[in-house]
Amino acid sequence: MRLKYKIISGFIILAIMLIIAGVISVFELSHVGKSVQKLLDENYKSIDAANNMIEALEREDSGILLLILGNWGEGRKTIHDADSVFLENLTIAQNNVTIPGENEYIDRIRISYFDYKNIWIRPIVGTSKEGDIKWYYDNHHQSFSNVKLMIKELMILNQNAMYKTGSELQSRAEKAIMPGIVAIVAGIIFSLIFSYFIHYYVISPISKMIKSVNDYNDYNKPFNVEIETKDEINDLANSIKKLFIKKSTDLKS
Amino acid sequence: MRPHIIIRYIGLIFLFNSFFLFVSLLISLYNNDSGIFPLLYSSIIAFIFGIFPLIYVPTPKDITTKEGFLIVVLSWLFTCLLGMVPYVIWGGEFTFTNAWFESVSGFTTTGSTILVDIEVLPRGLLFWRSATHWIGGIGIIIFALVVLPNIGHIRAILIKNEFSSLAQHNFIQNTKQVLRVLVIVYLGLTLLETIALRLAGMSLFDAVCHSFGTIATGGFSTKNLSIAHYNSPTIDIIVIIFMFLSGIHFGLLFYTVIGNKYNVFRSGVVKFYFFSTLIGVLLVTLNLYFNNYFSFFGSLRYAAFQLVSLSTTTGFANADSSIWPSFSIMLLLFFTLQCACAGSTAGGIKVDRIFILLKALKIQVKKFHHPNAVMVLKVDNKSVNPEAVNNAILYIVLYILIVFISALLLTALGVDTLSAFSGSAATMGNVGPGFNMVYSLGSYSAIPMAGKWILSANMLLGRLEIYALVSLLYYRSWR
Repeated sequence: MRLKYKIISGFIILAIMLIIAGVISVFELSHVGKSVQKLLDENYKSIDAANNMIEALEREDSGILLLILGNWGEGRKTIHDADSVFLENLTIAQNNVTIPGENEYIDRIRISYFDYKNIWIRPIVGTSKEGDIKWYYDNHHQSFSNVKLMIKELMILNQNAMYKTGSELQSRAEKAIMPGIVAIVAGIIFSLIFSYFIHYYVISPISKMIKSVNDYNDYNKPFNVEIETKDEINDLANSIKKLFIKKSTDLKS
Repeated sequence: MRPHIIIRYIGLIFLFNSFFLFVSLLISLYNNDSGIFPLLYSSIIAFIFGIFPLIYVPTPKDITTKEGFLIVVLSWLFTCLLGMVPYVIWGGEFTFTNAWFESVSGFTTTGSTILVDIEVLPRGLLFWRSATHWIGGIGIIIFALVVLPNIGHIRAILIKNEFSSLAQHNFIQNTKQVLRVLVIVYLGLTLLETIALRLAGMSLFDAVCHSFGTIATGGFSTKNLSIAHYNSPTIDIIVIIFMFLSGIHFGLLFYTVIGNKYNVFRSGVVKFYFFSTLIGVLLVTLNLYFNNYFSFFGSLRYAAFQLVSLSTTTGFANADSSIWPSFSIMLLLFFTLQCACAGSTAGGIKVDRIFILLKALKIQVKKFHHPNAVMVLKVDNKSVNPEAVNNAILYIVLYILIVFISALLLTALGVDTLSAFSGSAATMGNVGPGFNMVYSLGSYSAIPMAGKWILSANMLLGRLEIYALVSLLYYRSWR
């Protein structure tokens, strides 16, 4: 093979190694990006919705306490606002079902919430329930705890899924780094081999030829450089040899 | 010393490896599994490092013995390095240390794994694991030599460095024919076992992988429970037969098949190998039977499989031998040290050296009674050079010393005595499983990181028969 192609091949190979490592890293990193998006879109959204539901539920509970205390206006407003927030977040959770079995959890929340709602939707102020703390603990609080428990279960389900996606993310990140590390190590080793070959098959023969030409000029020693390869360096050595033979012949004649 | 010549031949080995990486890649592509990228990248790297030196370095007219030695030793080291690339890129349980351990274990045909769950690996990587056995089994240089043009003494020098002098003993042909014999026997046994396992009910993929593991006396399985997964006496018998055959000198197997008078039935070493294995199997069977472990045939089945597996340095398992009686464990440990015949794919001390040692002991006892007698040690009616006898004895001493030192180091790292000793012996002999922590159906995952490096060194020392690797450390001897 000609020297030109040999040198080009070295650079092309280096480029190929870097391109492939780059492509694999980009591919894996895009997967990491997707996993992050998945983490935010799928799990975090549901966890956030569950948190908002718990908060709304607790506000409803405060509203009911206000009603029991006879504060109808503020109590009903608090309950109404919290109910809207709860239903809004329940819809968000319902539209973001991403884990197998998540639907069942949401259905259970809906059913238990409507059971809970049935307790406080009826009038409290001006009835026997007003000021009846026993009624609150016996009927209302149990139902409230039940809904809260269901929401927490949904939250745990999504937290576990989030942890799993996080682990996948870590594994993906490692996979994205590894081809890069391998490419760097392989690139360094390859560069060393490439430099050695350039030195041994290009620089060293040229140095030998320079020395031999100088020896011819200074001490009239014959040009004697053996080249192993069949490339431009070999052609150059042959040409110099021919030149000296011609020069010697001319001088003799 | 011409480094470019060494790089050229290592490149040739890389090209050979790239072919197997490419086949593994095709398997991953067919199954569309997670092994595609790691195998694609590794095969390209192997190809690049293989082809580049061939572009630059013209074919040398000859190589020196030192160059031949360095080509062989460095080929093993760099091949192990290349072999870990798909593992580290794939990730999972493969940390840098684990990938190195698995790769060295594969190429040296040890078969010790760090994987707790083998079955999660993509099929492409499972094939690559088994292929490392197959490549390493016959010696990574041998395949390259088959395709290499026979210039000067290149083949002879490389085969001399790759093959121990004991292995060369039974060959009655020239280098080219020896190579041909080796490849024919290796391919023939692999093909025969694949067919037999397929007929016994294994899937083609598993049959090929297990054949690679058996003929190379490796032991990597595609299943977490190794051969025990199949729970099939037929498969056990097939694997026992091929493990035993793979432990015999390949040259003798070939001469037996072609009807040459110089065959396995006339070899004293093979007779010793056969009868020692037979006695070992009987003793373990009786020990298991009388301790109410299994029925008589059950005891025979498990004893035969486990003993042949360890004595041939294969390392497959059909039972958990670490819960067997101490007598059986001690016997299995002895066979883990003795191993099979030289000239096979087996590692360890080798039957040949034990045979020579016993004969030398016999002569020494005779000399005690007849001090002036001149006695010559003979194997198969051929006198053995006293230097060869000394070498064999020295090798055994050195071998056991290394096993003890590495076991000592492992105990310093907190590994229990039986695990440390059996693990050291099993890795040094390229056997695979040991006892306790490193039991036959388990893995080396619980061994500390430093311990895995010690055991990896053991595997390479055992595979390269100690001297080659140790010589590499003597920089002065390179020049």
